Amino acid sequence: MASSSPSPDWSPRQWPRIFFRFFTSFKLATVVLIFMTLVTLLGTLGQVEHGLHAAKEKYFHSFWFFDKIFGIPVLLPGGLLLMILLFTNMTLGAIVKVKKRWKGVGMLISHIGMLMLLAGGFVTWAFSTDGYMALYSGMSSNRVESYREWQLEIVPLSKEGVAEKAWIYPAGYLETMMPDEQRVIHAESLPFDVVINGYAKNATPIPTAAPMAAGVTGKEIDGFKLSPQKPSKEAEQNLPGCFIEIRPRDGGAPIEAILWAGSYRFDPRENPMPFTFTVGDQLYGALLVKKSWTVPFTVRLDEFIFERHPGVSMARNYESRVTRFEEGQPEKPLEIKMNEPMRHAGYTFFQESFGPSGAQPGDDMFSQFAVANNPADQWPLYSLIVTGVGLGVHFLIMLVQFTTRSRKRFQSNPAST
Amino acid sequence: MKNLLTALTLGCLALMAGTGTLQSRELPKSALQNYVPWKEDTVHTFENLLVQHEGRVKPLYTVARFTLMQFLGRSAVSFETKDGEQHKLHYAAWFLDVLFRGEIAKDMPVFIVDDSAAVVQIGVSPKAKRDRYSYNELLAGRAKLAELGAQYAEKQDQYEKSEKDPQYELDRIEGMILTLGRNVSSFEYLLGQFGFARKGELLVNGNILPPELTELAKRLDTVEMIDKMPEMTLDQLVQTIRQQPGETEEERMFSGALRLFFFHANSARGLNFFPPQDPEKEEWTSAGDLMLAGLESKEMRPWVKTQLAGVQGLVNAKNEGEEAFHAALRSYSDAQHATAEARGEGTHSELEIHLYRGKWFSNSLVFFILAFVVMAFSWLTPASKTGKRLLFAAGVLAFIGLALNIYGITLRCLIRERPPITNLYDTVIFITGTAVLLGLILEYYTRLGVGTLVAVVSGVLGMFLSIKYEAKEATDTMGQLVAVLDTNFWLATHVTIINIGYAAALVAALIGLVYLTGRFAALFHKRENPDFYKLLTRMNYGIICFCLFFSLVGTVLGGIWANYSWGRFWGWDPKENGALMICLWTLVVLHGRFAGWIREIGIHTNSLILAIITTFSWWGVNNLGVGLHSYGFTEGVWGALYFSWGILAIFLAMGVVLWLKERGERTTRRSGAPSGKEVPA
Repeated sequence: MASSSPSPDWSPRQWPRIFFRFFTSFKLATVVLIFMTLVTLLGTLGQVEHGLHAAKEKYFHSFWFFDKIFGIPVLLPGGLLLMILLFTNMTLGAIVKVKKRWKGVGMLISHIGMLMLLAGGFVTWAFSTDGYMALYSGMSSNRVESYREWQLEIVPLSKEGVAEKAWIYPAGYLETMMPDEQRVIHAESLPFDVVINGYAKNATPIPTAAPMAAGVTGKEIDGFKLSPQKPSKEAEQNLPGCFIEIRPRDGGAPIEAILWAGSYRFDPRENPMPFTFTVGDQLYGALLVKKSWTVPFTVRLDEFIFERHPGVSMARNYESRVTRFEEGQPEKPLEIKMNEPMRHAGYTFFQESFGPSGAQPGDDMFSQFAVANNPADQWPLYSLIVTGVGLGVHFLIMLVQFTTRSRKRFQSNPAST
Repeated sequence: MKNLLTALTLGCLALMAGTGTLQSRELPKSALQNYVPWKEDTVHTFENLLVQHEGRVKPLYTVARFTLMQFLGRSAVSFETKDGEQHKLHYAAWFLDVLFRGEIAKDMPVFIVDDSAAVVQIGVSPKAKRDRYSYNELLAGRAKLAELGAQYAEKQDQYEKSEKDPQYELDRIEGMILTLGRNVSSFEYLLGQFGFARKGELLVNGNILPPELTELAKRLDTVEMIDKMPEMTLDQLVQTIRQQPGETEEERMFSGALRLFFFHANSARGLNFFPPQDPEKEEWTSAGDLMLAGLESKEMRPWVKTQLAGVQGLVNAKNEGEEAFHAALRSYSDAQHATAEARGEGTHSELEIHLYRGKWFSNSLVFFILAFVVMAFSWLTPASKTGKRLLFAAGVLAFIGLALNIYGITLRCLIRERPPITNLYDTVIFITGTAVLLGLILEYYTRLGVGTLVAVVSGVLGMFLSIKYEAKEATDTMGQLVAVLDTNFWLATHVTIINIGYAAALVAALIGLVYLTGRFAALFHKRENPDFYKLLTRMNYGIICFCLFFSLVGTVLGGIWANYSWGRFWGWDPKENGALMICLWTLVVLHGRFAGWIREIGIHTNSLILAIITTFSWWGVNNLGVGLHSYGFTEGVWGALYFSWGILAIFLAMGVVLWLKERGERTTRRSGAPSGKEVPA
């Protein structure tokens, strides 16, 4: 038997060294990369069953998750944990620990590029926002709406039905509600409490008289029941619904209603249709609306150009001519088209899609922009440049080394060639 | 030299024997007594006619090619007539028959049915289990076919809408009936294209007309009739037809004429032969559209009549004999080309015909097969001069195959004015070309024969796949692009680079297969050349590094493109994930090697895993049905993938056996003789 290696020193004094050795090892890098491949594969296959959004959350935006592999439940590290480990390993191993030799400068630079890419991914995940803005020609807006997040709004209305301010129950709270959960919301500024229950991420109201309503449990209100549906694979397609009960604090009779996201506008020209009720002398509206926020400038759509390939329904080009208005700045006409977004004040407007669905050439159409605010917007490009330079330098060094060796070999033994 | 000639002769004989076997297969019998083929010149003039199809102006040649592939799964119609003659028609000649000799075309066996159970269901007498049927043979089941086709189309629609609920999934036979129904319907539209110009000759659906209309059709000149009609829209025409005809003979005649007009206009849709009158407009029209446009506007009528009279002239000339027909075709084609060229359209049509007529990709496959045969003979005398000459000859043949492949790709680039890859078919021919090139470069530097083997195997498999894929999809492989892909910059950079990465991964796997086969075989004959295998390992490691570079740069470029187009660098889309997995696994190999976990056998076995990931990324993710890169389901892909992964798994198992053996030997060495190295106490 060969002599066994000495037992490692596990005394606390050695811990920093042990940790450093562990986090800088090629073995850790290899294991992390193998798990990343596995998780990427599972996350790709998982999209077939769960849809993109749910799969992203489960596999890639998590520290760990359970999954069945060949029918056996296994606990696996999530994408977030793996990327943190990889970042740590690369920083300590490829930047700090690595011997700083001229031969390794290319690899050093390319690893810095990859670290930038990972850091960019983290900044995007943690700090970016994305939503959309849809406009018909002539319409202008500075409001961006979320694709998936819904919030509850209680709106005091004037006699003409106009709202000046809104009381909001945030999307983050609604998202966490369980179907059998009841929440009582008390706001000092409102003369009533609001009770929410039966919240479903995807639901549809059904007339009680309809045959399919027989299998739906839950309250019946004004001849309707709320039927929870299986969440769609495309999370943007989900239309949540819930029951609300308005309990006036002055002892008036409670008011019940079904709120359903389907009554929200899906065409930029339509107005939202709230459930209206009166408490005291004040008219109020309640509705589920998409979470929204404003950008520091206004965009007006001047013209939407939509072209199809001749004789077929396939879109060849769609682009928007817009004017941007900003306080203290001259108005600026611009073009937003596929692969040519508008970047301004930290926001980027992309030509995303158009509507309404089924519109034919010549119909009045709206243009939809994806609006992203990503502090790391251009980091991948910088990272690619850095990585490319690094790999280029490395290959150059390798080439010089190879030709030098070949020359030396030739000089020492010319006959061998 | 003598040996070389003998070997080549044997190879050619083997190939000829294969071809002979193919030719001697029994052809389907046609009800035609005899068949008189068109003269070559007539077919060439015909195939040059232009048509706007799927958003682009192209030669009729291309439409004919993919239409026949769609019906028959191949590009030539073969049949035997009653006089015992065997005929093989090129798709252009067949299409000419369909448009101008419909009665003959109806008896040609052009509809492939993979399982006779499908024709039994529509009430048609089955032939062999898998066989070809003519339109007339299927006619008895036409009504049932239409009924079942509509039923299955609705079921398929429900399947899509229900996010693929299995209860709506079509079974194999239902799918065949649906496809057959669509093909037969398309065929009927083709037969009816010039029905308006053939007085009384109703090739299809004549049975839906009452006898008095059939009689009327023999007397009525549809083109002349346009002038005599009142202005009306399509809706008004349909409403008028639905009304009861009046009492008087004149009213009944008018109503009958309108119904016939509608019948012909409806039958003549689909093939857009006519450039628009307005040079600003892009959309070409069919004869049916022209008739309706003429009906709607009196102003249009003179122009419409001229256009339709052109086709009428062709039909009449055909009845006067082939000489007259050819002359009329030429004159029509010249006029059409002049109009199209003035509009800047159809400028590459001759190049397109050159592409398909040249059969560059099929010929490329022939050279790769020849190269393989020649190389196989070189293995009989590997160390001899003859063996080396044969190997060199195989390399030259592979190089010619590559040149043909590159020429074909270049033609496609010129025709579309695009970089080489815009769709899945392009990836097949491009990746094949790149893999062959990499193999030949490796051979140039190493002279081991392995590079040639990699090149030849890549060429044979890739070109065979491209031909099978084209026949299976049976759609124009130079179609228009969706708006987001309309950027030559990103197509030229991201798409090209990432596909070079795919090619490198597959080349690495082939080297891995050579290594593992050699080492595994050596277990039995106990002869090994360690230097050869070390060199193979160095080659494979180099190719994996090459793969990493292109995959990584390509993936990041794809992210940057996505950021410009959709506003996010990374969306965990299946195609993005596939590319990422390739990068990750190459990094596993590199880091595993530095960690001391991956040595020679490890590099080769991991190259096989890399190939599994690559094929999943290339073909598998498209068929998951999710994501932005889902190009649509290609039937049979999963089966082919599982088969190829199964084969790779066998080689992986061989790798594991070799690794276990080597590990055992290392342990024995360590426990036995001292290695001479100092071991820390």
